[in-house]
This record gives sequence, structure tokens and C-alpha cells, in this order.
Amino acid sequence: MRRRKRMMEELEQDIRDHIERETQDNIERGLSPEEARYAAARKFGNVMRVKEDTREVWSLVWLEQLLQDIHFGLRMLRRSPGFAAVAILTLALGIGANTAIFSLIDAVMLRSLPVDNPSQLVLLKWGARNAPNIHGYMTSGDCPTDLRPGAANPSGCSFSEPLFREIAQANVFSATAAFANSGRLTVTGNGSATVINGQLVSGDFFRTMGLKAAAGRLFDAADDTTSAAPVAVLNYGYWQSAFGGSRDVVGRTIELNNVPLTIVGVAEQRFTGITPGSDYHVWLPLSAAQRISDPMRWQNRSGDASNWWLTIIGRLKPGTELAQAQAAVSGLFRNEMLHGSVPLFHAGETAGTPGPQMGAPVRGRAGVQRQMVIGGTPPAQPALGNGPVPARREALGAPMPQSAGNKPVVSAPPQGAVAAGPPASDGGPRTLSTVTDNPHVTLLPAQTGLTGARTQYSNPLYVLMLAVGIILLIACANIAGLMLARAGAREKEMAVRLALGAGRARIVRQLLTESVMLSVLGGVLGILFAYWGAHAIISFVSSNQAAPLGFATGVDLRMLGFTVTVSLLTGILFGIAPTLRSADVVLTPALKEGQGSSASLGHSGGKWFSIGNALVVAQVALAIVVLVGAGLLVRTLQNLRSIDVGFDSHNILIFGIDPTVIGYKGPQVDSFYRDLQGRLSETPGVKSASYSMVPLLNDGLMITMFHWPGTPQDQNSEADVLGVGPNFFETLHIPFLAGRRFNASDFKLSALNGGATPTSAPTPVIVNQAFVEKYLSKENPLGKQFGESAGGAGDPPSPGYEIIGVVRDAKYNSLRREIHAMMYMPQSAGGASFELRTAADPQAILPAIREVVAQVNTNLPLFDVKTESEQIDRLLFQERLVARLSGFFGLLALVLACVGLYGLLSYEVSRRTREIGIRLALGAQPGSVLKLVLRQGIVLAIVGAGVGIGVAVGVTRYLTSMLYNVHANDPLTMIAVAVLLTLVALAACYIPARRAMRVDPLVALRYE
Amino acid sequence: MPTKEQKERIELLQGTLDLLILRTLLAGPAHGHAIAKAIEFNSDEVLQVEQGSLYPGLHRLIKRGWIAVEEGTSENNRRAKFYRLTAKGRRQLAVETSKWDKLAGAIARILRPAEREGES
Repeated sequence: MRRRKRMMEELEQDIRDHIERETQDNIERGLSPEEARYAAARKFGNVMRVKEDTREVWSLVWLEQLLQDIHFGLRMLRRSPGFAAVAILTLALGIGANTAIFSLIDAVMLRSLPVDNPSQLVLLKWGARNAPNIHGYMTSGDCPTDLRPGAANPSGCSFSEPLFREIAQANVFSATAAFANSGRLTVTGNGSATVINGQLVSGDFFRTMGLKAAAGRLFDAADDTTSAAPVAVLNYGYWQSAFGGSRDVVGRTIELNNVPLTIVGVAEQRFTGITPGSDYHVWLPLSAAQRISDPMRWQNRSGDASNWWLTIIGRLKPGTELAQAQAAVSGLFRNEMLHGSVPLFHAGETAGTPGPQMGAPVRGRAGVQRQMVIGGTPPAQPALGNGPVPARREALGAPMPQSAGNKPVVSAPPQGAVAAGPPASDGGPRTLSTVTDNPHVTLLPAQTGLTGARTQYSNPLYVLMLAVGIILLIACANIAGLMLARAGAREKEMAVRLALGAGRARIVRQLLTESVMLSVLGGVLGILFAYWGAHAIISFVSSNQAAPLGFATGVDLRMLGFTVTVSLLTGILFGIAPTLRSADVVLTPALKEGQGSSASLGHSGGKWFSIGNALVVAQVALAIVVLVGAGLLVRTLQNLRSIDVGFDSHNILIFGIDPTVIGYKGPQVDSFYRDLQGRLSETPGVKSASYSMVPLLNDGLMITMFHWPGTPQDQNSEADVLGVGPNFFETLHIPFLAGRRFNASDFKLSALNGGATPTSAPTPVIVNQAFVEKYLSKENPLGKQFGESAGGAGDPPSPGYEIIGVVRDAKYNSLRREIHAMMYMPQSAGGASFELRTAADPQAILPAIREVVAQVNTNLPLFDVKTESEQIDRLLFQERLVARLSGFFGLLALVLACVGLYGLLSYEVSRRTREIGIRLALGAQPGSVLKLVLRQGIVLAIVGAGVGIGVAVGVTRYLTSMLYNVHANDPLTMIAVAVLLTLVALAACYIPARRAMRVDPLVALRYE
Repeated sequence: MPTKEQKERIELLQGTLDLLILRTLLAGPAHGHAIAKAIEFNSDEVLQVEQGSLYPGLHRLIKRGWIAVEEGTSENNRRAKFYRLTAKGRRQLAVETSKWDKLAGAIARILRPAEREGES
């Protein structure tokens, strides 16, 4: 640019010099000075043109033309501010909505892991043809796990600690890390007792992730030895909120589950956990795991090759192929599976009680009864309640659901284990798996392998993305229609320009620049909308989770890039048709005065099919599609809300409480609960109180298996199971249909049977109607005994259960899940959730409740405090979010489509004013003019509706997984939508039609 | 008023003028006026270049990097802008010359088919 300026400045001088020299030559040739000069100048030629031609050599032609176009475009827009405002606003809404949803998709699905070089990290995943022979399995919800009993090809990503140590030592990776959910931690020593989430990690965890400390230091390998002092690393956010972000936390001691730990540092701000959606408050080394865990639950996991609980991630060595590393790890795993042996008994384990304690008859691995816990609540630890965990589907009919990263899911060995492995006829050791089962490990890139909370949100996000994409298309069609109308008005201008010699390409480019400018302006405004919209959605989601959502959103480059791209494409899309139409003007008729534009939007010499009509039909059709989808989703929400849950869910306060974390054991726990229940019942404002292992409709589900008399010996039956306290059914208003309630001796008996020395009397249980239907059809349920087992190798005999009562069906863990056969048992031991029925608003009673609890023990925090109604809302939050958003988008689409229709008809009326004036002057009734306009509008709306319904029928099937009790092609919804649209369209047509009616023939005839 | 000479003036294409400038500068650096005179002289007065059109051509060649400009003094001790061929321009001259030869040859063959027939 500078060079150009310089050259141009000196050109003036150069030209003068040149002419001077020529003049001199001419003088030498004999001409007089004036003649010489004159001849020289003539010989030189047109100085102006020379300057211009030279300037053109230096100019960036395209850039200058672009600037020209932009300047011109801005002027045109300023001349029609109404059009500009409408267009920009429409575009802003469309582009903004797209950007908002995209930013959510980016945050949840696409964003890379918050560590260094995430592409080098790999996740270990095991697979086999049959489930391995393991004692215990815990998943922290990091990846999809399939361990259903009897399922083919189970897989998962939890491994045993000995295997992890082996892999780490074998040096397959440059760094190896293992981690698992620590379960709920009660914090004391920093103000009043609170409950937080923690994660147990191996010493190399932070090094593997490549993270730095924001204060103090992070773990190293030395912290993860049994002799090391117990240490902890804080989450940045937790450090800020609980410790005020002060640097003197480093070195402080806090107590977690009554174990003193020294805080050595704080993790960097961006890291809240490696699995998407996870948000841990504190990290502890694996070596501290045993100390903070309930010893009954812990069972010497560290040295047990058949207790799988750790997720393993490795960082690939540079230069090592994934396949190489995979082969190495798989070899180690296979070795362990085929040659490691499984002891029958574990040290510290009471006769045959694997992992989850129920206080109910739980019998050994190869035994008859099994426990399986799905979703939020392992019995020994009440639910962490971090929002909607996708235990939405039947436990046995679907893969094991993953928690939102913050809930441990513990299960007893799968039933299939009985079938796998060589038979234990001699009671000798078994191996974990067999050759035929092909146990192996695959390495997945951590970015895609760690799904965490992603799977929860992916479906609704994609549906919403589709909806906003359609809205953008409607907006484009809308503006294209507007621009076509404007093009008609600018025909003369175009004709003049073409006549003056402008190339069509140049005109096309200029018009496209105008379109793109509009859409870029719309995009800029849209970013604002997007930011605000995404923020609103996130806060809605967060308010429904117990813990903050572990996804970070914000305006970032990717989002901006997306917006810019979408804006440009949008501009070109809606600009193309009007532009080509404009540049295609037939010159002579257009230049003539007094000629109406020959290119019309609506009727074109009687032709119905014109581009203006087609655009409106398209808009209406698309709006119908969005509306139908929205209608289905709204109805789904309504259906879910109006489900009869089987108990009275109003005015119930729920909270969890776990005395084992402050050291209560065994029978102390029972008496604690009973005592607390008594006190709470006496509290004014509380009508009745009870407790249960997990609260109802909390996504926690437990299933037990037993042998039903009369079935083959090796066949197991199953039922949902829930431990309950006294007064449970009264508190929840679940009516009895037969039999009696639990009494004190029932609880005593249940506690004994769940302990070390079971009695010979069966545990009393209460069952629901579904149970009776499934197992008892004609028999009298009362007194029926089942589940007896004589015991097997190493298993003591179990007395089984006896039915003492029948209650009405009630939902268990989720609204969508059908009611299964269910049995209620007297609860003893383990954590529990209390349910209180209050006289008035439950929240108002909360301080009094805390008082009562504090009177028993001041160091016992309540957690997951909420009302049952809130809990139901939380269960439904995804449906609520989607229904709300799709409803909003549906209405938006409807408004846009009708604005488009209105615009078209308005334009038509103004274009045909002369014609209408003539008709009226010739004696037509105003009513017939009204009908004329209305007819066009209604026909367009109906055709659009028809096309829309047709498309909707084909497309809504993709929504089926999200619907409840509504068919994807539900005719009622479609008809309702079609009627709604027709009514609104009528309203849109009415105004232009009235205007047509009011045309004054005299004015119209004079109008040129 | 256009003179008879001017009517017979052959219209030179833009690219051809650039070629002539390059060739002229092969002999050595020169200023604008000298280049114009050289072209006229070396073509036996057939090519009467409208001297103004030289300048856009010169700037084009500068932009492409085929010639360079520098300050100097002319024969009568006046300051002038001298243009000289660069190495790149030298190479380009060879390329353009061969292209021109090909073009001229092809046109000649079409205009004088008799010679061709005479050959075969």
C-alpha cells in the first residue's frame, strides 16, 4: 500500500519529465517552443487516462469493489429501515438460537478434556463373551457398562487394583492413572459438617493428566503408598467457596469421614474431573481409600484381583502405536483372567456377604440370592443425588446405566458368573475367566471413551439442534420472500444499471454482498441472543441438579467461528434467489414508464406456482414440523406429570443421613434410626415420619434374586426390593390391601437374618400387587414362603422370606419405568433416607428438623434435602427443558411463517392495487375482493399444512425414544397443530385482505 | 484531428507493449522517454507508441517484479527515473519471446497457406 502511494505520487512528476524531454526533442527538430510542447502533449496522450490506468495497476480491484458494494448496501438498508430491522431481527433470532444450542453441544459433546494433550490419553475397556467371576464391581459412571446377568458380551471399564499396579509397572504407557468415586464424604473440621463428593486417584493421576497446581502441590507417586501420610488436593471451586481461596489451606488438616487428612494443594481452575460432567470437590490418594470407607464395604479391595472398581487411563508414549499398547495391556489382562485365582472367602468378610449390605439375606457369590444395585444408591451409602441419573430404563432390560460421574454404582457379581468358569464342585479355586470367553482389553481414546454425563444430554441436544436448524431455514425463506418483494421494486434500478453497461456478474456480486451484510449484522446481534440463551438454559439445568453442572460454557472461538460460518451461508442462501431474479431483468419493458413489474411474486399471469408462493408454503410446512414435534414433547411432559405414582407425593420432605460415617456400627445404626424417627414424629408440623434405604422416585433401584418354590433348582427369580422403616406405608399413604404392617419383632428378625448368624425363621416381607400377579396369581399371598436355600459350597443356609402383607402398586425409582414385582423388607443397617409428611410446606419445617437431628448428634449433616415434588421435577427436568424449548421454538416458527404469509399477501395487494381498483370501479362487491385475497392466503396455508404434516409423519419417528404414552404419529396432536396454524394464518391474511377491501378505486386508477 | 498517420497506427495489445519494454531494457537501463524513443526507432518508425500508455505498462512490470526502478541522472544532467531489467524479468523475456514467436508463426501459417502447400 505504501509502495503504491509512493509510485502514484511520483507518477505526476515522471509524466512531466517525460513531456519535457519530448518537448526538448521537438525543439531540436526545429519546432517552436509552443508547437514543440503541443506536439509532445499530443504524442503523450490523455494524461488523466494514463493516471487512471496506472492507478488500476496498483489497486486491489476486488477489495475496492467489495468496499464499494458494502457502502452501497449500507445506503440501501438505511433507506428502508423497516425492512432492515425486521430482517436483522429475524436473522438474529435464527442464528442466535443455532449458536446457543451449538455452544451447548460443544460444551457437552465436543469440548476436549481439560488436560494437556488429551489426544494421547487412552481409556482401558475390558470385554469378554461371558461375565467374569468377580466378587464385586463398582462403576463410577465413566463409560457405558454392560453387566446384566446373562447378557452376552459384557464390557465395562472398571478393573482391580492389583491389575492396575501391574499395568503401571509394566511401563506400557508413559504415565498410568487409576481413579474411582470415593463415595460420599462428610467433612468436619472446617465449620459445620458438610457432605462433598470426592474422587480416589492413584499417585500418578495428576502427572498423567498433565495438570499444574493452583496452590501448593499435587499428588506424586510417594503419596499413594500405604505408609504415606494421608493427603488431599482440593478442587479450585471448592477451595474458593469453602475456604475463601486463601493460600493458607496448604498444610491445613480436615477430616473426611472422621479421617484426618492434610491438604497439600489445589488443582488448576479448569479441572473439575476428567469425565465429562464430573465435579469433584476433593481428590484423595488410593492409599487413603480403605481408611475413609466403611470396612464392611471395603473388603480389602486393594489386594483383591476379583474386585473391580478402578477406571484406568494411560498416556501413550510418543512413538508407540495404540495397537502395540493395546496388545500389551490385553496380554496382561488375559494372563490375570486365565491364571489368577479367585479365593472363596475374603478376609474380613462375614459369611458370604459381597459388597452391598442390605441387612437382608444376602448370600454368597455362587449362592442363590444376589443383590444388584442400579443407579444412584448403593445401600451402604445413601444416594448422592446428583441430578437425573439415567437409570431410567429397566435394570435388567438395558445396559447398566451410568451415573452423572458422581455416584458410585455398586453391584454384586452378576448372575452369569455362576455359569462361567469351571464348576466349583470341589470347592477349589476358580479362575476369573476362561479361554473360550476371550477376555481382552481395548484401548479407546479417552476423549470418546469417557462418556460420563454426555449420553444423558445427547438426545435432547440433537433434537433441539434440528429444531433450531429448521427455524433458521424458515427465517431464510422469510427474508428471501421479503427480498424478492424488494427486488420487484428495484427492477427499474437494475435495468438502468444493466443498460449502462454493468456486468451481470458484478450486479450479482453486489446484491449478494447486501444479503451477506444483512446476515452478518443479524449474526452479530445473534451472538448476544445466543450468549443470553445458553446462559438461561444452563442455569435452568443447574437449578435442577444437586451439584453444579461440570460443563463449562462461554463464548469461545469455536462458537464465534460457527456463527460467522452460519451467517455467511445464510446470507448466500436467502440472497441467491432474489439476486438471480433481479439480474435477469428483461431490459426494455422494465425501462418503460408506467409498467407494473412483470416478475411478480404471486399470480404471474395466472400461474399459481411461483417462487413467492413456494417460499410461503415451505415456511408453513417447516413450522408445522417444529410445532408437531413440540406438541408431542409437551404432551409427553403432561403425561409424565399426571402419572399416578401410587403414593401421595405432596408435602413430603426427604433427606439422607448416614451415621456410619461418624462411627456408628451395626445395631447402633438401627437404634439410631428408630430413635430419630421417633423424635421426628413428635416434632410439631410433622404428621408422620419414616425412613427407607432409598427415597422413592430418586433414581436409585435395587433388585434381588431368589429361588421361587416350584421352579427348577438353578433358576432364579427376581423382584425389586426396598428396605423400609416403621410407618413407611402410612407416611407415604400407600394403602394396604391385605395382611399387616411390620412390627418391632419383624425388624429384630430381619436384623438377625442379615447378620452373621441367620435364624431359621424367614424374614417377613410385604409385597405389591404386581408381585402377587406375577408369582401368586390364584394363591393366597399371606403366609407364602419363598427364597429358602439350603446353601451351597461355603454358603450358610438361608431361611428365605415370608409374605405378611400386600400393598398397592407404587412407582419405585423412575416415572417411566413400569411397576415391577416388588417386596419391602424391614430395614436394618446401612444408610437411609428419611421421609417426613408435613402438615404444611416442607421447607418451612427444615430448621426444626435440623435442630432435632443436632440434638442427637451435632456432627451429622443432612444431605440431599428436598421435597418429593422437587425430586419429581428433577426427574423430569430433561423433559421439562425440552418441552419448554421446543414449545418456544414451535411458536417462533409459527410466528415467522405467518409473518411470511402476511408479507406475501401485503405485497400482492399493493402490487395489484390497480387491478383491485378496476374491479371495484366496475362494480365488484368489496366482499369478493376480500375473498380473493383470503383465498390465496388460505390455500397457501392449507397446502403448507398438508406438506408439513406429511413431512412430520416421516420425521417424528426419531423422537420416539423421548416420548411417553404418545405415539410419534399421534393424530390428535397433528390435527391440533394444523387447526392452530390455520387460525393464525387466517388472522395473518385478514389484515391485507381488509386493506384490499378498502382500496379507493379513484386513487387506485390514478396510481402509476 | 486524427492525421493520416494516426489512422494507420497499429493497435498494440497490452501484453505486447510489455514485451517490447522488456526487450528494450535488455540493452541496459533507461528512463521512460528513452524507452519510447527506442521502440519507435528500432521498429523503423512503424510502431508509434502513444507514449502515455507506456507508464501503466511500466508499473505493471514493476508490480510483477520484472523490472526495477531507481533514481539516476540523465544525459543532460537532469534527475530521472531509470528502469532496469531484473533477473526475473530477463527470464520472463525469454518466455514471452518464445510465446510471441509461436503466436506469430501460427498466424503466419494461416495467412500464407500457399507456402505451406508449396512445402508439402
